[in-house]
Amino acid sequence: MSLFRVLAVFFLTTLGFQSFSQDLKFISGEVMDVSNSEPLIGANVYWEGKTSSGVVTDLNGKFQLSLIPLPARLVISYVGYERSVRVINQNEAEKPIRFFLKSEEMSLDEIIIQERRPDEQVKNLDMGKSTVPIETIKNIPALFGEVDLLRSLQLLPGVKSAGEGTTGLFVRGGSADQNLVQLDGAPVYNASHFFGIFSVFNPDGLKTVDLYKGNMPASFGGRASSLIDVTLREGNNQQIHGEGGIGSISSRLTLDGPLFGKNSTFIVSGRRTYADVFLRLSSDENLKNNKLNFHDLSGKFSFILGEKDKLSISSYQGSDFLGLDEQFGLGWTNWVSAVNWSRVNSETYFFDLQGYHSRYNYSVEFDDPETGFEWRNNLSETGLKAIWTWLPNPKSQINWGVHSQYYNFAPIDLEPAPGSAIEPIVTNPKNGLLNNFFASVNYEFSSKLSTEAGLRWGLFNQVGKGVDYLYEGGIPGPEAEITDSLNYSTLENMKFYQGLEPRIAFRYLINDRFSVKTAFNRNFQYIQIASNSSAGLPIDRWILAGRYVEPIRSDQVSLGLFHNFNENRWELSVEGYYKDLNNVIDLRNGAQVLFTDQVETEVLAGKGWAYGAEFLLRKNIGKTTGWLAYTWSRTWRKIEGVSKNEPYNPRFDRPHDVTLVLNHEFSPSWSAGLTFVYTSGQAVSFPVGSYQVDNQVAPLYSDYRNLDRFPDYHRMDASVTWRNADKGRKWKGSWNFSIYNLYGRKNPFAYEFRQIYNDDINYDPSEDGEIVSSRPGVVMTYLFTFLPSITYNFKF
Amino acid sequence: MKRLAFILLAVLSWSCQEEVILPLGEKEDLVPTIEAFWTDQGIYNEVKITLSKDFYDSLNVEVISDAEVFITIPGTTKVIPFQFLSVPQSYRPVNPLEKARVGEKYQLNVRWNGNIYVSDGVMLEPPKVDSVTWSFEEERLFREEGYYIKVYGKIPFEEDNNYRIRVIENDTLKNQREDYLLFDDTFGLTFFEEGLELGYAFQENDRVRLELFRLNRDAFDYLNQLVNLLFSDGGLFSPPPQNPDTNIRVVQGDSEVLGYFMVSPILTRTVVIQAKYD
Repeated sequence: MSLFRVLAVFFLTTLGFQSFSQDLKFISGEVMDVSNSEPLIGANVYWEGKTSSGVVTDLNGKFQLSLIPLPARLVISYVGYERSVRVINQNEAEKPIRFFLKSEEMSLDEIIIQERRPDEQVKNLDMGKSTVPIETIKNIPALFGEVDLLRSLQLLPGVKSAGEGTTGLFVRGGSADQNLVQLDGAPVYNASHFFGIFSVFNPDGLKTVDLYKGNMPASFGGRASSLIDVTLREGNNQQIHGEGGIGSISSRLTLDGPLFGKNSTFIVSGRRTYADVFLRLSSDENLKNNKLNFHDLSGKFSFILGEKDKLSISSYQGSDFLGLDEQFGLGWTNWVSAVNWSRVNSETYFFDLQGYHSRYNYSVEFDDPETGFEWRNNLSETGLKAIWTWLPNPKSQINWGVHSQYYNFAPIDLEPAPGSAIEPIVTNPKNGLLNNFFASVNYEFSSKLSTEAGLRWGLFNQVGKGVDYLYEGGIPGPEAEITDSLNYSTLENMKFYQGLEPRIAFRYLINDRFSVKTAFNRNFQYIQIASNSSAGLPIDRWILAGRYVEPIRSDQVSLGLFHNFNENRWELSVEGYYKDLNNVIDLRNGAQVLFTDQVETEVLAGKGWAYGAEFLLRKNIGKTTGWLAYTWSRTWRKIEGVSKNEPYNPRFDRPHDVTLVLNHEFSPSWSAGLTFVYTSGQAVSFPVGSYQVDNQVAPLYSDYRNLDRFPDYHRMDASVTWRNADKGRKWKGSWNFSIYNLYGRKNPFAYEFRQIYNDDINYDPSEDGEIVSSRPGVVMTYLFTFLPSITYNFKF
Repeated sequence: MKRLAFILLAVLSWSCQEEVILPLGEKEDLVPTIEAFWTDQGIYNEVKITLSKDFYDSLNVEVISDAEVFITIPGTTKVIPFQFLSVPQSYRPVNPLEKARVGEKYQLNVRWNGNIYVSDGVMLEPPKVDSVTWSFEEERLFREEGYYIKVYGKIPFEEDNNYRIRVIENDTLKNQREDYLLFDDTFGLTFFEEGLELGYAFQENDRVRLELFRLNRDAFDYLNQLVNLLFSDGGLFSPPPQNPDTNIRVVQGDSEVLGYFMVSPILTRTVVIQAKYD
């Protein structure tokens, strides 16, 4: 909600200056949903023909707009609702006016899929920011019919995927751990289910998702490449509503409504898979006893505490579990909770306070009399953030605040099962305390030129309880002898880093439909994942900046041209960027990071850079909506000890990336979606020969990394949705039929370079008997060719 | 782990596999591969030198037979010359009685085609193997039904705990990628005293020969990296493929080199699986 307020305040102040001075009178009113009288927050209110001087409704659906000579036509618009236009005369202007908007579901004359002003792209200061309405995400054809937020973001320019079917994001050359995924302001450390196939967010419970690829506001930080800011929606305060769906592999249900009267609401949302139910139906005893499932549950409780105060409490819990024969189990859980308090001190002064706790843990259990064990680990982040917002005049907005974060990465805890002959492993904990102070100013120099300037100052301490190891020669490495170890007590300073993170952006409005923007953004990141695989695993090890691992520093400059045309129905943008990364890490050959207390001996550090241009043509209004995006980009890393110390492309360097997303409403009952994706193949290493060693034929690789490429990737998905005609019934159902990979393209997931025995790629010499022939070969694995699915969705 | 992979793929992906022909690069010069064993048992002591080949070449690797090979003991004038023998297609000590002694450091020298390759290793003390037993086990997770061998012994060392066990079943070396048995002291070494179960299911009357090596760390790392490479499927969850880090240095010439030099004691035991022991 604080983000909404910031935006609301921004428009109230920075866009309302053009025509009127402060001493003019105002018209005030309230905008509500005609079906339940619920206030509509963030509705656009403006005089016809003067969109730039409009305002948006506040937390209670109320607005105040400067008067112009009357009579005049006042326009109210809101996403998902019919636009309302009313002639206002002098008599009406003297008292508050109520506007009741009708839902689009009742009339589909025109679909508006953006939760923002029509001309916002041109007039705001945002660069590298993408907002994808949840309704749009729900209309995109989905893998297994499972609507997925993160996979939808992969369709935006500048965002790459790790590979087929995965939800990992690589934003403008940053690696996956450089994205801050947050839910109601609290970080989510593992945002995926099923080893990355699905993201943890149930779309029915979400309100907004904003992706910042570049110029983050100064109030956000901590990750080098992007912010994915997800907010849970609030319940309505009129009556219990529900929505959900029954899909191919999971079902979901969301309920919302008033809690204790109209001043408090709730929403709870849950989802669970039933893959394990199908496993139980198997005639194979081995499969029957296995488990494979995930679930997630989220809730948000909101309380209006008076005219000035609002409190919300939200929580998310999601778990995955994989069990084999009741002997082996792997499970992981995210539990994220946040409390937000918003206070309107006056019309020009606001305060937001946020507290959160995010915990991620995994466990691996192996029940074996000889080598059984139980291996657990968890990490958590606890934070407190306060933001003050002040509007000293219509041309300025000032924000400042403080954000304190405490990281606790627990020791690796591997305990042998009773009777097991293996010994326990205990490492030392890692803790960090990061205090950030930030301030930013939005200022309109003139009707054409505006700026947002911010500064974030991070003070990071790696703190005890913990241990640092000292190495011979001062440089850690697999061969370096440990000469001493230093023990630190609780909260004792182990290592200190500080860094200033300036952010600045300018927008120059060439005319009402055309603007040019530029921005510079610096971020420090004090945590990262010690891994060199492209896709994340539940057991990935996060490490803190410390004595040997320095924080990542990223600098990004960007320049963009933004143009709206055809009465803001179409948006066109071109953005170019250059990003510089310092102190990114990779792992040495054969590194073992999971159980060691000296991770620094396994880590290699270096730098990276990325650049590119992103083109986006988007249509937000009308029966046909969607976008066409093209990105040209390159990504490089240069790390001592990798690729003979020469620059190389990481796997996710995919220079060309084309995305087409289309949705069309044929009638109130029928709609269809189409998605087409084309990208350059992943950068990989193929063998340049083979050799014989230790009775094996081993593939021989070049010393230079990722000189080869997978074939280009392309895929088309399609979906059709049929809704029951609205006959005034409370229950509204719809069927969604979707096909992933419509034309069955065999996009490679992996290539194996190995010996093929008896001319059979599935021949296993240890099980299938005598080998009569052996030759080298390449075996391609591909996933998801022509995958149909069906989902029934409902609302009541 | 195969079952784990099967479940994931079966449920999640309807994945498919097929053989494809990819255009692959080639090395301008074929790379010599040196594989050198220097142990306390003469029969194992040999140096194999071969050349790499194109990936799709299904012919045998070319053996280099004209290299000069010898082992020295640094700090002494001792030189142990090797000669190429055509039957095993490898270099063997001229004096078959020469072998590694515990505590001694050795240096491998190979001279070929104007290049000089050198590697060092130290002969470590062997652990103790007290007994080898076997028993019949029902099918378990990751284990088929069959006879399983346990090795009991003692490892009294504080460092250099890098071990490999090779298994020869009825005169056939178990050398699939899943057959490698490498262990260090990451999880302690108590399991060796309480009986290390080998992960192979044997049948009655199988004749099984076990060979236990205690390796220098660089040779152990080489084998670990080799196994990782053999298991790499080139997918998103695998690290970028790299050649194992050789412990052989090129001290003259600009050639690359592959392979490794292993100095190790070897303990061997041979058992015949018999039902009466069950």
